[in-house]
Amino acid sequence: MRGFELIRPTRMQDALAALGGEDPTVRAMSGGTGLMLMMKSGVFQPSALVSLADVEDASTSIDRLDDGSLRIGAMCSLSALETSAEVRAAAPMMSDAMPRLSNRRVRNVARVGGNLAHGDPHMDLPPVLAALETRVEVTGPDGTREIPVAELYSGYYETVLEPSELITAALVPAQDGWISTYTKITTRAAEDWPALGIAAALRIRDGSIAQARVFVSAATERLSRAEATEALLTGAPVDRDGLFAQAADAAADSLETVEDAQGSATYKSALLRITMRRTLERLTTGATQ
Amino acid sequence: MKDDTTISAGQVGRSVKRHESHEKVTGTAEYVHNLSVPGMLHIKVFRSTLAHGRILSIDTSAAQAFPGVHAVLTGADIKALVPNPYFGPAFHDQPVLAIDKVRYVGEPVAVVLASDPYVAAEAVEMIFAEYEELPAVYDEIEAMDSEVIVHDELKPAGTFPDLKHLVGLRDTNVALDYQLRRGNVEAAFAEAAHVFEDEFRTQAVMHTPLEPMVSLAVPQGRDRLTLHTASQSPSFVRSEIARLLGWPENRVQVKVPFLGGGFGAKLYIKLEALVACVALIVRRPVKLSLTMEEQFYTITKHASTFRIKSAVDAGGRITARRCEVFWNGGAYADIGPRVTQKSGFTAPGPYNIENVEIDSYALYTNRPPAGAFRGFGIPQLVWAYESQMDVIADRLGMDPVEIRRRNLLVDGDLHATGTPMKDAPFLDVLNAVAERMDWDKPFDKGTGPLRRGRGIAIGFKASIAPTTSVATVTIAADGSCSLLMSTVDMGQGSDTAMSQIVAEVLGIAAESIRVVHPDTDATPYDMATLGSRSTFHMGHAVRLAAEDARRKLDEMTDNLALPEGSTPTWAEVFRKTFGMQAGTIVGTGTYIPSYISPDPVSGQSANVTPYWMVGATGVEIEVDTETGAVKVLRLVSAGDLGEPLNPRIVETQLSGAALMQIGGAMLERMDFDAGQVTNASFADYKIPGIRDIPARIENIIVPASQTDGPFGAKGVGETSTFGVAPAIARAVHDAVGVRVDHLPITAEQVFTKLREMESSHAK
Repeated sequence: MRGFELIRPTRMQDALAALGGEDPTVRAMSGGTGLMLMMKSGVFQPSALVSLADVEDASTSIDRLDDGSLRIGAMCSLSALETSAEVRAAAPMMSDAMPRLSNRRVRNVARVGGNLAHGDPHMDLPPVLAALETRVEVTGPDGTREIPVAELYSGYYETVLEPSELITAALVPAQDGWISTYTKITTRAAEDWPALGIAAALRIRDGSIAQARVFVSAATERLSRAEATEALLTGAPVDRDGLFAQAADAAADSLETVEDAQGSATYKSALLRITMRRTLERLTTGATQ
Repeated sequence: MKDDTTISAGQVGRSVKRHESHEKVTGTAEYVHNLSVPGMLHIKVFRSTLAHGRILSIDTSAAQAFPGVHAVLTGADIKALVPNPYFGPAFHDQPVLAIDKVRYVGEPVAVVLASDPYVAAEAVEMIFAEYEELPAVYDEIEAMDSEVIVHDELKPAGTFPDLKHLVGLRDTNVALDYQLRRGNVEAAFAEAAHVFEDEFRTQAVMHTPLEPMVSLAVPQGRDRLTLHTASQSPSFVRSEIARLLGWPENRVQVKVPFLGGGFGAKLYIKLEALVACVALIVRRPVKLSLTMEEQFYTITKHASTFRIKSAVDAGGRITARRCEVFWNGGAYADIGPRVTQKSGFTAPGPYNIENVEIDSYALYTNRPPAGAFRGFGIPQLVWAYESQMDVIADRLGMDPVEIRRRNLLVDGDLHATGTPMKDAPFLDVLNAVAERMDWDKPFDKGTGPLRRGRGIAIGFKASIAPTTSVATVTIAADGSCSLLMSTVDMGQGSDTAMSQIVAEVLGIAAESIRVVHPDTDATPYDMATLGSRSTFHMGHAVRLAAEDARRKLDEMTDNLALPEGSTPTWAEVFRKTFGMQAGTIVGTGTYIPSYISPDPVSGQSANVTPYWMVGATGVEIEVDTETGAVKVLRLVSAGDLGEPLNPRIVETQLSGAALMQIGGAMLERMDFDAGQVTNASFADYKIPGIRDIPARIENIIVPASQTDGPFGAKGVGETSTFGVAPAIARAVHDAVGVRVDHLPITAEQVFTKLREMESSHAK
């Protein structure tokens, strides 16, 4: 690993200023768990990193707002999400997904904002938050804007964020009437990057699926919305024969998978077909009709 | 005569708690990584980015000029100190730093020294090497007749008589061609009821000791050197460094504290030659601490291809077997030629086969060097011969346990080498697993997408021979005892087990014995801590040393001519002899077992090994027929280890070795792209974690005795590695009907074979 300058601003505006320069290798660092792997392997050689650890006006809190929504500060650790009673009450899918997200050492250090901004398609949090219709609050030199997590990623390790923008919060709307689940498939050790991640949220009314939000990650180049699956599910009776198999086929046939160390593209498409069906079946077993 | 600590016998066979437990749990145990000495410089290594190339130039000027850099050295600097700077246990083929050529991606080419390791690391990035790229060979089969030659000339070390015929050979990648011939294989194939021909392959994996390799060299005075190193073989390090430097051995001191795992990675000589040379060039203490990532470029387990052809009669008896084994040794021989021979001769398996041919080849390729890895080649062989055994059983419609019973060697039978079998209770070990698993009862294979299956495999290993161990046992004037030996405790519990032997002989408590860790200035010679040899070899040396001390103590007591019936404590014996609390009793013991070197053509020997190690594995698994995912539900390991010196430690050896093998069988694989390891980190190279461990793990110490072992014992560090992979493969076949022929047994491999089977049925 090469040497680099570590900038430790204490105010958000100073952090944004430090990130606003010409040098594209200057990056923000929160927990550093993702960047350090890239730096150790030599893939990423920054001239400077802007640590957000000392930024006093960066939020680490998780708040349940009056409308039932959650506001998660970007500097909140993944462990804090895992153990939060507010998260458990508002979006149990998130709490349930956490114990299999990386490992405890990483969860204690990694931050929500960094995890979302890193852009690695093998992250578990983006599909989970996208299926919850989460928006991120992004702060830049000109103020703040909101971006749906579903639209955050423009490619492999690429986001729509400007270099001088930072994610400052994740805003999770109330999930009244929704059921949701996340499935993580690893193909080597149990504690591994996923070969496939599927997050699915359904709103069921009178035995039919009123709305569906389904996201796929890890098997695809970037976080992907399974639009064909959502379209098939929406309006269909939950107990229609073969519905979930059709919905799974729609995902496998429409989404392009990519080969990596976790498996070939062919195998990942097969995993997607099988796991999508199983995920939807598990989600709806015992669901209120 | 008695002492306060004198107790009745029973020190051996008792589950004495490990001596070092408290130190390890409280974080005070000594490791080289924690060691720092005044004036010490850190080394960082500049490595080759090419698999094969001629070095045209190395530009170190920018690194030299970088503030904080003390020195930058290349192969030319090493040559100025050591004219012929090539090292290795079997071949003197590995340069301390690359000279003229690079032979694998990751090979050390230059080093930077600085008091700040981060400065050294930064400066490494400023070194530029220019190469003329040469074609490379990666595959062990291709290396057999490739035009790419990794080493222009073979340079076997003089120490092994059976490598002499290789001296000076050119234009070959075959570092050793071991062969065995017994009976008439061709005739047996011609008249056989069935002939089976299969090929099985294994992948390169890494030892992944959680303490990466580390060595610290300290020049002493004008002409001595101390090495603190995480090594499994301090005595070898001393003699090899002395040879390189042209020094007598007594000027090189090698000290080894605890190791955070070894598994064969830290054997013979690894970083020691480099730190020794660099320390003498710069006349400063220098330390090299590898990162976990760098270990992937240092030593691996042999990838292998095993072509096995068997003749079987109508009753399921194997009448002939031809074994062709190709070992991918990487760019430097390390101990690969020994693996090729010492494991190679067990390639036909633990079966009584009249006609046998073995050809086992150590091959140079342009990959990181391969060496000893827990099992020393045996798991690769068992993978093939036990997989084929299941193929045969399946084809003949026989029960896989029954066909093994019908073919297993029994004591008195001649092994393929011509050595009569002794203390090798194959049937007992196999039966122990079969009984534990209720093999004869119906097994619920499940319905729906999850199907269950079970498998059993058995393997064996000879001990490396001939090898020597020496031990010293001292009794101080107050009656307290110390054991000085060069066996390295790398987690296997040798400090505790060897104390139990001393304690048993002297009739005192094992807990009271102090074990002095390897220090070649003080602890005597030991060949190495490898191949499950310490319990037997060092165990005998320790026993002899304790007996010697006991005899000397008895003589001292007799010389006092005390009144009949008096029972002085040991301290009283010393006080009366020397007039005060003074004196030391020094007992020594040396052990080398008998051995007859095999005939170079036929491979025959009447005594090819001091003892055999026998291990069997049984598994129950579950296969997801849709995804191909395999889950091991139950893992049963049974071993013949003679009589256990410490049952609790022995049991953890059985379970630990089996679980490690699950990694190699199902998860681990070094991926290569043009010779470059592409997953050289724990982020992408996965070893089993706690969630990958089977829910049921059972270990069986099979009642047995090694009749000539110390207190009936023999080694156990590798016994449960043998059968894990083929047992899982058989269980997969049992569950879903597909057979895998290469490791690791991944979900994708099973999935692909399942879909192939379905589409062939559909046709």
